Amino acid sequence: MTIAAMKPLERLAAYGRGESIDRLPCVPIIGNTAVRVIGVKVSEFRGNGRLIAAAQIASYRKFGYDVIRVFTDLFTLAEAMGARVHYPTDETAYLAAPAITGVDDISRLQPADPRRDGNLPHHLEAMNLTVESVGKEVAVTGALTCPFTTASFLIGTENLVRLTLKNPQAVHLLCRVALESAKNYAAAIIAADCTPSLTDPMSSTSVISPKQFREFSLPYLKELISFIHGHGKSVTLHICGKTNRIWDDMIAAGADCLSIDNDASLAEARTTVGDRVRIMGNIKPSEIMLQGTPEDVRHAVYDCVALAGDSPRGYIVASGCSLPTETPFANIQAMIDATAEIGWPITLEKLARRNP
Amino acid sequence: MSGKKEDLLKKLADAVVDMDEKLTVATAHESLAEGLDAYEAIDGGLSRGMERAGQLFEEEEYFIPELLMCSDAMYAGLDVLKPHLKTTGEKKGTVVIGVIEGDTHDIGKNMVRIMLETGGFEVHDLGRDVPPRVFVDKAKEVNATIIGLSTLMTTTMDGMGQVVRLLQEENIRDRHKVMVGGGPISPGFAKKIGADGYAINAAEAVKVARELAGAV
Repeated sequence: MTIAAMKPLERLAAYGRGESIDRLPCVPIIGNTAVRVIGVKVSEFRGNGRLIAAAQIASYRKFGYDVIRVFTDLFTLAEAMGARVHYPTDETAYLAAPAITGVDDISRLQPADPRRDGNLPHHLEAMNLTVESVGKEVAVTGALTCPFTTASFLIGTENLVRLTLKNPQAVHLLCRVALESAKNYAAAIIAADCTPSLTDPMSSTSVISPKQFREFSLPYLKELISFIHGHGKSVTLHICGKTNRIWDDMIAAGADCLSIDNDASLAEARTTVGDRVRIMGNIKPSEIMLQGTPEDVRHAVYDCVALAGDSPRGYIVASGCSLPTETPFANIQAMIDATAEIGWPITLEKLARRNP
Repeated sequence: MSGKKEDLLKKLADAVVDMDEKLTVATAHESLAEGLDAYEAIDGGLSRGMERAGQLFEEEEYFIPELLMCSDAMYAGLDVLKPHLKTTGEKKGTVVIGVIEGDTHDIGKNMVRIMLETGGFEVHDLGRDVPPRVFVDKAKEVNATIIGLSTLMTTTMDGMGQVVRLLQEENIRDRHKVMVGGGPISPGFAKKIGADGYAINAAEAVKVARELAGAV
């Protein structure tokens, strides 16, 4: 096989088996930037699985990255359970109002039915169409918001974090019903021949303590991941912000790959957990990818590969978090190009060649 | 009295740090009954407690839940003491604060407001999703020392630069200091848009605000 012809699925599989590849896998975490590729507005994704698929496929074909992720915002699961989401015309949606205002209403919450509720059916349609079109060559994933984060959207973030101290039982009830929704959606994503891609920003130690994470987030993550493993899929878990104090717990939850943000240290991840899980990250989404030049991106890729390219369980070049909608195409391209420029095998000579 | 006074101030601060709303309120009443000056009780008790809570947050001993609960206790104590204020003490400055238009994440902004209020600033909170023009108008109206801008989203960062540009257009840039903060904001970005200050978190924001207020 000519090495340049490797498709993302072949590349990931070969890398997983420890065989020779053409370059490291590379994942600029594309969200609503996909609308810019086909020239539509962000809000047009709402209720339109066909358009999401068209944009995701076009974006993949344009850049040739290694994982497609169907994602518009973090609220899809909470919305399907009654939270109100506001959709600005051409910006990412935001939470307008939580599903409930007080603990007395928790019993009214029902797990989401992905075939019926909110935008979930449209996201599933997008996954189906994307798999149909390019699923033979590239991994297609569906973003799945984890229980603690969804719980925060169900009752409001400030409410939820207060409840962790005031009324732990209420938090558990919220996480439990959010977990049931997440499992339903995970099953539907897997039935669409996709892999759930787990995201859990509120579980960050930028928000809650490691102790609170262990009490309120970990048990539900564990159950969710074990459910997904039961369906034969491996799990990438992304938690934003600071996470180094909970990496061991994220691994204990069963994650096969940790996606880390730029508030965490890639070097530290490589040293402390690289022998147990695959690592992906952590080019700065805002400072480098949005505001930097292609040359800044190139340097960031070289830095990351130098720090973690030899991580024992593998490393994926990636942005630290979802890319801002207006991330320049040239910067996304520069990320892939720099990864290809380093190529394979990764050698010190190549890494030293960064200055043209 | 002075030993007793010190005890009460310490008890107030400890109650805030311990997130004990009931004890904070009871101690505030006790302080008044003992003839303690309300301003002193706020400044040397509640504020000191909040400052320590902020420090614990920086040291990653406390997290957002603890900080919120401390501020709940602090505000409960403040409700008791405020009506008894003879003077407002020496005000450090006036701040207009808000989350820039297009963003509704306001936990960070609320933290900064709390820390500024306890740090002796008069704070006008414009809430979230605030257009740049509203910041400028409010700053003029209350003669603000500082305009504080927050965002968690990269999509709304440009609105921060817009506030600075509006101040320049109206030739009042030197009247109000501009400080910025929030997830995607960096010192480099603050410099790029011509802001006067950047703070990485709520505790730091008070220090920066004090520096800026001193420089006006």
